[in-house]
Amino acid sequence: MQTTTPQLAETIGALGLGAADTGAALEVATGPAWAMLIPMLPLLGAAIMGVCAIMGVRSKLPAWITVGLLGFSAVLAAAMYAWLPENGRAVSVAWEWINVSWGDEPGQTLKANFGFYIDSLTCLWMLFVTLLATLIALYASEYMSHDLGAGYCRFFAAFNLFVFSMACLVMGDNLLLLFLGWEGVGLCSYLLIGYHYKKHSAVFAAKKAFIVNRIGDLGLLLGVFLTFVHFGTLEYKDLFPMVQPYIEAMRQGAVGDIPAVVQLIPVLLMIGAFGKSAQLPLFVWLPDAMEGPTPVSALIHAATMVTAGVYLIARMYPLFLVSEWALPIVAWVGGLTALVAATIAMAQFDIKRIMAYSTVSQLGFMFCGLAFLSSVGGAFHVVTHAFFKATLFLCCGAVMHGFAGQLDLRKLSGVSFMKGWGIVGIAMFIGCLNLAGFPFTAGYFSKDMILAEAFITPGPGYQFLGVILLLTAGITAYYTFRVFFRVFVGPKQFEPGDELHGHDGHIDDHHEEHGSASRATEADEGHTPGDHEPMGGSVEERGKKTHEHPEHFHPHAPGWAINGVLATLAILSVLAAALYFFPGADKSHKGWAGGMISGSSAALVVGGEADHPTRLAAFVGAEPEQGTLFGQDPHKIMYYVSGVIGFVGIAIAFALHYAGRKESERSAANNLLQVKPIRTAHRWANAKWYVDELYDFALRKPLWAASQIFHLIDKLLIDGLVNLVGYLPRALGKGVRPSQSGVLHSYAAAMAGGLAVILLIVLLLSL
Amino acid sequence: MSESILHVLILLPIATAAFIVARPAGEAKTVALWGSLISLVLGVVAAFQFDWSNAGAMQPEVSLVPWLPALGLSISVGADGVSMMLVLLTLLLGPICVAASFSSIKHRVKTYYAWLTVLQAAMVGVFVARDILLFYVCFEFTLIPMFVLISIYGSSNRKAAATKFFLYTFTGSILALAGLIYVIWFNATRMPVEAFAGAGEWSFQIDTLRQAAVRMSPTEQGWVFAAMLLGFAVKVPLFPVHTWLPLAHTEAPTAGSVILAGVLLKLGTYGLYRFAIPFTPIAAVDFAPFIGLLAVIGIVFAGLICWVQDDVKKLVAYSSVSHLGFCVLGLFALNTMGQSGSVMYMINHGLSTGALFLLIGMVYERYHTRSMRELGGLAAKMPVWSFFMVFFVMASAGLPGLNGFISEFMCLMGTFQASDTLAGSSIGATPGVLGPVFAILAGTGVVIGAMYLLMMTGKMVWGPLREPKGHDHHNHSELADDLNAREIAVLTPLAVLCLVLGLFPTPVLKGIEAPVNDTVRWVQEHGGLRLYRDPAPARVTELSPAGVVTPELAAPAAGGER
Repeated sequence: MQTTTPQLAETIGALGLGAADTGAALEVATGPAWAMLIPMLPLLGAAIMGVCAIMGVRSKLPAWITVGLLGFSAVLAAAMYAWLPENGRAVSVAWEWINVSWGDEPGQTLKANFGFYIDSLTCLWMLFVTLLATLIALYASEYMSHDLGAGYCRFFAAFNLFVFSMACLVMGDNLLLLFLGWEGVGLCSYLLIGYHYKKHSAVFAAKKAFIVNRIGDLGLLLGVFLTFVHFGTLEYKDLFPMVQPYIEAMRQGAVGDIPAVVQLIPVLLMIGAFGKSAQLPLFVWLPDAMEGPTPVSALIHAATMVTAGVYLIARMYPLFLVSEWALPIVAWVGGLTALVAATIAMAQFDIKRIMAYSTVSQLGFMFCGLAFLSSVGGAFHVVTHAFFKATLFLCCGAVMHGFAGQLDLRKLSGVSFMKGWGIVGIAMFIGCLNLAGFPFTAGYFSKDMILAEAFITPGPGYQFLGVILLLTAGITAYYTFRVFFRVFVGPKQFEPGDELHGHDGHIDDHHEEHGSASRATEADEGHTPGDHEPMGGSVEERGKKTHEHPEHFHPHAPGWAINGVLATLAILSVLAAALYFFPGADKSHKGWAGGMISGSSAALVVGGEADHPTRLAAFVGAEPEQGTLFGQDPHKIMYYVSGVIGFVGIAIAFALHYAGRKESERSAANNLLQVKPIRTAHRWANAKWYVDELYDFALRKPLWAASQIFHLIDKLLIDGLVNLVGYLPRALGKGVRPSQSGVLHSYAAAMAGGLAVILLIVLLLSL
Repeated sequence: MSESILHVLILLPIATAAFIVARPAGEAKTVALWGSLISLVLGVVAAFQFDWSNAGAMQPEVSLVPWLPALGLSISVGADGVSMMLVLLTLLLGPICVAASFSSIKHRVKTYYAWLTVLQAAMVGVFVARDILLFYVCFEFTLIPMFVLISIYGSSNRKAAATKFFLYTFTGSILALAGLIYVIWFNATRMPVEAFAGAGEWSFQIDTLRQAAVRMSPTEQGWVFAAMLLGFAVKVPLFPVHTWLPLAHTEAPTAGSVILAGVLLKLGTYGLYRFAIPFTPIAAVDFAPFIGLLAVIGIVFAGLICWVQDDVKKLVAYSSVSHLGFCVLGLFALNTMGQSGSVMYMINHGLSTGALFLLIGMVYERYHTRSMRELGGLAAKMPVWSFFMVFFVMASAGLPGLNGFISEFMCLMGTFQASDTLAGSSIGATPGVLGPVFAILAGTGVVIGAMYLLMMTGKMVWGPLREPKGHDHHNHSELADDLNAREIAVLTPLAVLCLVLGLFPTPVLKGIEAPVNDTVRWVQEHGGLRLYRDPAPARVTELSPAGVVTPELAAPAAGGER
């Protein structure tokens, strides 16, 4: 065991990780009671939404209440951050949740409080979660306004419940409360994906999301079991100190001394992370989750919930560090997911789905960051991604809202230049620059932190993985700007979606022919194999062909709430870059985000006194002696390399989808698709590499068949035997027929008689 | 807690039944409702009188109403924490079942409510019995009211279902009785009088017999255990003796299904917990992997069968088989976590599955079909019903924050822990014979549970509205489109309890901890389980040859301040 992957052990050992004295830094203070309000306010909100629904409120009141409560939560999250002493950790216990005890010795009590663990990792997550939730609730107040009444209440109830669950997930002081939040966000995701519950595709997507997540959750649950069985506790404050001896062993290179059970824990936990964060092989639910209303996609399926997997690994980082398999697996799963999802995104036409695959791909980057021992890179990318991806989604949402549900990039063009769409265009542009990793954007810096580490962290094939990630970065730039150049600039043109009578809440019968989420895209592909469907003339012309009253349709420009939120988010996504530099007094902390990570369990492995910069953070700082690329600081090299790659991707998108694209004219991409191999590849990527079909064929169908067979076995064989046994005496003894009369009194008499006989036997025996 | 209140809890329903019979049919439901409500109040009073700090002991300490002193026959009642919880569950479901039947039972009303009420007495009797005679009489007597309820008030195939239910479970319990009688005989004839109080006499006291039973040879224990297992497993029902249940559930009237799933199945697991395991601990340990296997097969097998059902009531019925698999698995983990989880499971399954049956009954009353092919998308027409449906589906699927999770987690955790292999090196493990493999296999049931429950929700609740052809339910039923106030009142207490037990299960967990701990210790002492307790696990000292690790850290087993 000692010889299999010595690199990781060597790295950790050589870097002196875990060298610092560990005892002092692990004390846990008592946290403030008001910190509990951060999850409880949204819970209260959910209850109030229920009351609103019962009282039949038909105004925007639920939205305002939600915005108010979530805003207050955000303020409290900021206060919690302000309260937090440096490298401090505290626990606030609300009430005792589960407590089972079978002895007084350690490991004989399973305790899980409704308690909240406050450290800088918690604060980092809660700050952006509550802030984004508040902003997106505001956006949704307008976006969902077509559905005022019960639907509006239902939406905001689930929205509030989501924030509560997410807060439990992030703030929970034990793995079980984390699990409560983990499944809670899954429930809210289920309810919100299936918001348009009359639509088959939405119901199907919601079910799929929940079940795929459940598979991951099972892995997580088993990890929790193993954690308790081995360490005898589920509470972070007791757990982390107990991992220290193993880290010590790792540092000394004695991997073999770490029991296999301990090394298995992170492998189980990561299955949960892969499910929730939509990584291979469990990523299939996230693209379908786009059936939900767009604010939900932005908040849950881009910015917050899907980063729970990253949070889990960051939180349990000490355990991941003492396993020689865990982080390499995370690295490879993350890297491959990033590539696969990016290739699929290249060939999609639905802009929301492109963003969904992009989320999957970016999450892969975050996992890689964690795996390359750059928990700061991973976490920082979570933050920047949360802001710019929320921006991107909300822009798509604004388009969807304005163009009656139209999301096909072949049917929209020049949106930015239409009246009232300026802010959307600019926000989209900023979001795209970030996602493409354009130099000096926040996305550029955060991605760079991950990419550079790939080349200097020793690990199985990490260099190769780095090349894959660079390639993926290029692809990302391409598909991002493909959307931008097609939809937001160019000649002004559009074709409204099929929700002319209202919005996505009002589904007419004809819409329900889409049996499943995936079929909708297939239908598109059916009549246009590729990008080369000519743009559909002017609105009037096109409209007459397909819609009854096209002249009545005018794009519905976003109002103040949507515009205001988009502007705010765009600004925040730009400002997020500052977290990389500011306060950044100490280079080893790698800016504010680095400081937040190094003071938490994500870097706890190295311990260190409160005022001592941790060694892991120092490593992330990548001082030249720690690792070089071409004899230079790898991060500096990567600034240039990734910058150039981003440019190339954007340039290709420009050439293929913008340059020379005029009204009713094919873009350059169409010519490319005449080449057969490219067309084939495009078709496969468009069909998402047939992963859904593979699962259906290899898993769902056999299981279904097995279930049918089981049902038959149960009916015919098992019950048949019972009936046979029941029939035999009846057949044999026709004479005793009257006893089977079914008359109740006879049964009762028989029973009494039987008892009497038994008593008689007892009596006789006793004599 | 006084003895008389337990007697009243058994006798009051019988008196109520007599009153129902005596009064005109029009008053039957009112009388039944009041009777069951008074019982519930008395039960709550009893719970308050109960000394929870001493929940491990039977209360009252001594209870003996002599019946046939010459034979040692007496009626002796008492409750420990576990019994008390199950009594409360029974009493809670009483008024709910009565109220749920108001609109669905139209003919032979007096018979219906009288038997429903009598059933209550029998079930309470089972849980508070301290002697085998009372236990067995009540255990068997539950069959008769249930038989009546199914065979008169059930749906089309009710006669066959009722007969099968009766004969199947009756045959099973005869076997259990044989096992119990052997123990009685063994105590009376094979035990020296000086062994313990009550030895060498014809005693029916459970406490006495338990002392005697553990002194039986392993072979005797094996036979006695097998007999009791057969009897109780049919009742649970454990795979493969479960086939009476789907039939009985599908045919039973709503209240019958609720009682059946809520309490009657628990008689089986209670029997295993109270008799089979502590009476014959050696056999229980020996048989545990075998029973664990049956439980796991049941979880997966029945779960997958649920997935392909069209009849929604049958689906929930099979889901009971799957769920009770977790319950049995937890029992045979033979540790506190598993057995507490199992007792919790009995309560939680009663609440959430009971509620699911109520919900299905409410739809059945309106549409007269249970087929998901004909019926669906009810969210559009019945939003309140849909809310409750999704809520209880989630409780049933084990969503954390609701009650089902607590018990499912504990049963699986207990199973996972119960490993002699792990117990040597891991401080959180307990001696036991199941272990991680069983937990992983049973864990797949969690995924399968989500699959069939969401399949059901997806069809019944979501999607475009589908109603049976030519349906106009105003022709058939005076009920409103969505739930009426009575129906909401029936469901609300269950929902509240699901939520409370999910977020704050401590009162129940602490209430059952002491008795369960006693049972577990008893089984470990007498069952030959290895008792591991290595105060300073060797692994830590091995780890730090250089002595770098500070003394506090060197003993993670000490777990900080503990």
